[in-house]
Amino acid sequence: MTFASSGDTRRNTAFGLGLILRLGAVYLGLIVVDALALFLIYAFVLDGVWELAITVALITLMINVIYLRRGLYAQRWIAPALALMCLMVVFPMVYTVYVSFTNYGDGNLLTKQQVINLLAQDTYLPEGGEVFGWDLYQNDAGDYALWLTDEAEGDAYFFATLGAMAPVTGVAAGADLPERYQGYRRLSRGESLRASGAAQDLVFGADSSPIGIASRRQAGEFAQRYVYQPDEDAVLDRESGALFCATYGVGKDESGAQQKTGQFVSDAGDTLRTGFIAGVGFQNYLRFLTSPAIGGPLARIFLWTVGFALASVVSTFTLGLLFALLLQNSRIPFRKAFRTLLIVPYAIPALISVAIWKGMLNPNLGVISNAIAAFGLEPPPFFIDPGWAKFGILLINLWLGYPYFMLVCSGALAAIPADMYEAAEVDGANWRQKFFGLTLPMLLVAVGPLLIASFTYNFNNFVIVEAYDEGGPPMVEAGTIPAGHTDILISWAFRLAFGGGRGADFGLASAITIVIFLLVAAVTLMQFRLTKGWEETSQNV
Amino acid sequence: MKYLHLSLIIALLALKAFVVSAQDESLTIWADDTRAPILEELGAQFEEEFGIPVLIHELGFGDIRDQFKTAAPAGEGPDMIIGAHDWLGELAVNGLLAEIDISDVADQFLPASLAAFVYEGVQYGLPYAAENVAFLRNTELVPDNPETWDDVRAVSEQLIADEASQYGFIMFDNNPYHFFPVQTAFGGYVFGLTDAGYDPSDVGIDSEGSIAAAAYLEAYGSDGLMPSGIDYDVMHTMFETGDAAMIITGPWAIPRIEESGVSFEVGGIPSGPGGSGKPFLGVQGFMVSAFSENRILAEAFLFDYIATLDTMQSLYSADPRPPAMLEARASLEDDIMLGFVAAGSEGLAMPAIPEMSSVWSAWGNAMELVRTGESSAADAFGNAGEQIRALIAGDE
Repeated sequence: MTFASSGDTRRNTAFGLGLILRLGAVYLGLIVVDALALFLIYAFVLDGVWELAITVALITLMINVIYLRRGLYAQRWIAPALALMCLMVVFPMVYTVYVSFTNYGDGNLLTKQQVINLLAQDTYLPEGGEVFGWDLYQNDAGDYALWLTDEAEGDAYFFATLGAMAPVTGVAAGADLPERYQGYRRLSRGESLRASGAAQDLVFGADSSPIGIASRRQAGEFAQRYVYQPDEDAVLDRESGALFCATYGVGKDESGAQQKTGQFVSDAGDTLRTGFIAGVGFQNYLRFLTSPAIGGPLARIFLWTVGFALASVVSTFTLGLLFALLLQNSRIPFRKAFRTLLIVPYAIPALISVAIWKGMLNPNLGVISNAIAAFGLEPPPFFIDPGWAKFGILLINLWLGYPYFMLVCSGALAAIPADMYEAAEVDGANWRQKFFGLTLPMLLVAVGPLLIASFTYNFNNFVIVEAYDEGGPPMVEAGTIPAGHTDILISWAFRLAFGGGRGADFGLASAITIVIFLLVAAVTLMQFRLTKGWEETSQNV
Repeated sequence: MKYLHLSLIIALLALKAFVVSAQDESLTIWADDTRAPILEELGAQFEEEFGIPVLIHELGFGDIRDQFKTAAPAGEGPDMIIGAHDWLGELAVNGLLAEIDISDVADQFLPASLAAFVYEGVQYGLPYAAENVAFLRNTELVPDNPETWDDVRAVSEQLIADEASQYGFIMFDNNPYHFFPVQTAFGGYVFGLTDAGYDPSDVGIDSEGSIAAAAYLEAYGSDGLMPSGIDYDVMHTMFETGDAAMIITGPWAIPRIEESGVSFEVGGIPSGPGGSGKPFLGVQGFMVSAFSENRILAEAFLFDYIATLDTMQSLYSADPRPPAMLEARASLEDDIMLGFVAAGSEGLAMPAIPEMSSVWSAWGNAMELVRTGESSAADAFGNAGEQIRALIAGDE
């Protein structure tokens, strides 16, 4: 350390200008980053997205500390990656965990304060209250006044913001409104529309029965209908006198019905128009794990997910390896052309490939089905029969996936030293012994981790399932929440969150995502254990 | 560095203040690409007359709902959106829509289209178009519109026997929207209709009529009159190539059918034991955000500029869908459009309850199970009815 610092000093004195430039660049960079971060934080705070504001603030603080503290010099190079990881990986994970413990979803989309604010906008006409047509007046000081016309009776009244009610005199009933009245000027339609936002918040007349603008046409003795009472954590409906208490409860009430969480509920069981986001503890997890409608398909979908991922990896790897071995053989003509052509499926976007395959497999119009029919055979019902649908999706995934393993295996095969084969031949090994005793183990050292990656990828391969048939054909046994025979966990979770249930249920979907994450983590961990063997092989080489 | 930050914050505050003050006197509308240009024009007129700028943001039609759900609570949403009436439940249950007072114009609009924008007794939208499916036939193969579903079957059998076309009438495997008119012709329904609108406690997916319609479909398929594996594209392609003689589809498919050159006519849905076949009405309209700070402005624009015959006609010519305004509806001259209007004269508004998305999938799955022969009509629709009932009761 002493050596390093003395070295620094020496360099500093020798390259003073360079140091200034370097520090200048660091500070300038920090200023730009901080300014950007401040802008983001400011915008997030304004929008009330505190979680993101805090995350960005912490990340910015971390970057500043790293760049300004000498001892953390080495961390500078990974700081951008760390920052992005916090924002794109850690934050969503933490947020997902948080959401899984709430009722966030359709019907509970707003915060409690937002619901209270919305309710506060509702008005009602108390008994005996009068309704008028309105026109807006304004004096030179900018104060507004309201001209009210009782259309039924033909009477007119005039209210200044701060003044009391003044019955209109000197204007004949039914006559046009005066342009000026008591020092106030009548606003044109455009002006009063422009002022309507501000004027709507004003209250005119006496405190006992204030008059306000309620809508485009009506003004009157409207009163705020819902009043939030913090002491009781309840909303009072002033029109009916009913008290709507906020519920956060979890579980069921005495009658066994699911209790409404995050709602304002009256004694009669009525709820106000929308709920708010509230914590529900482990309810989402319990719903997921105990409900027969969800639990029933879960086991089947889990098995299919594992089967799908496993079959995809095995089939793509086998075919890819086969092509790689074939193309390694120098006796095959046009090797380069073949290799290029075989990579084509990898180069075309998967969605397009799936769409083309869907068309080709269509039992009525598809090329493949028609070709099979031309031989007098019944075309397989690819989108109708569960077994054939699964076969179809695996076939498409094979098409999409083999070029990757062909590429990887070609490289790995080339890396196996030729003298090992010579030694094997000297020992008299046949091709099978060479392949299983030499090629495959050596190959798996390099490709093994990629197989795991491919498994994990296919475990969550949402795109192909959704593009193929949206999880269909449907399962007969599925309960209220639809599930299909080709659904994998992630596509099913998507359906639970956005397609099925009561609209979007982010809380439940987050809980399911976390359960899926745990499942994938367990499977991956197991695989890593298994692949320890390969690592040992590689260490012996 | 400190001062730089400070000045930056001040600049930002100033900018935000400016943006906020600008927002107070403007109207923001989210519309899809077809309708945005028309609204731009109206907005310019509105600004000229009242000095209030109207900002039109163009979004994909389907994106409007999702983005609105995110943006409105965050205070970033528009004052008004264009949307479909079946979004109503989802948006209203989240408290995102404001009630509007349509009493001024109520008598100028198709009553069913106005009713479509009512959720739990509250009017949340002003309609501009009401569209529905109708019965299309290839006039070379089927000169007259079949009157009943028995006729449809007879005509189809004849066509196949004569080898005039591969199939007669065909339909979607799993699309309840296209199947609903058949279901109603057999006396089926989805939710019981009362004066106050749909009654979610009266589920009719497994009613006698619905199952009879499903049984018709089941027999129709198993007797070889229709293959399975038909989706939107397959259905239309087969009709356009003359492989199928009759389909049920909506006005949105007319351009592609006209392009194919097949001669066709649009007729009413054939009737059945339950009376005439009633299609769903899908209504598009304007909705005002509950988070809008300019509701009076929004209503003024809505009633003075949008609810006029001129606007309704230009909306129609930009994207021909049967208008919801009676006068604009009466001025239609196009035979095809009149065919759709006639078929929809008894149409029922699609239910807009938030559970509808699950109703669609349970219902569609039931259809698919019948079509693939995996379940009988009674089992599949009975099961779907139970699923929907459980869903609405709120337990899984």
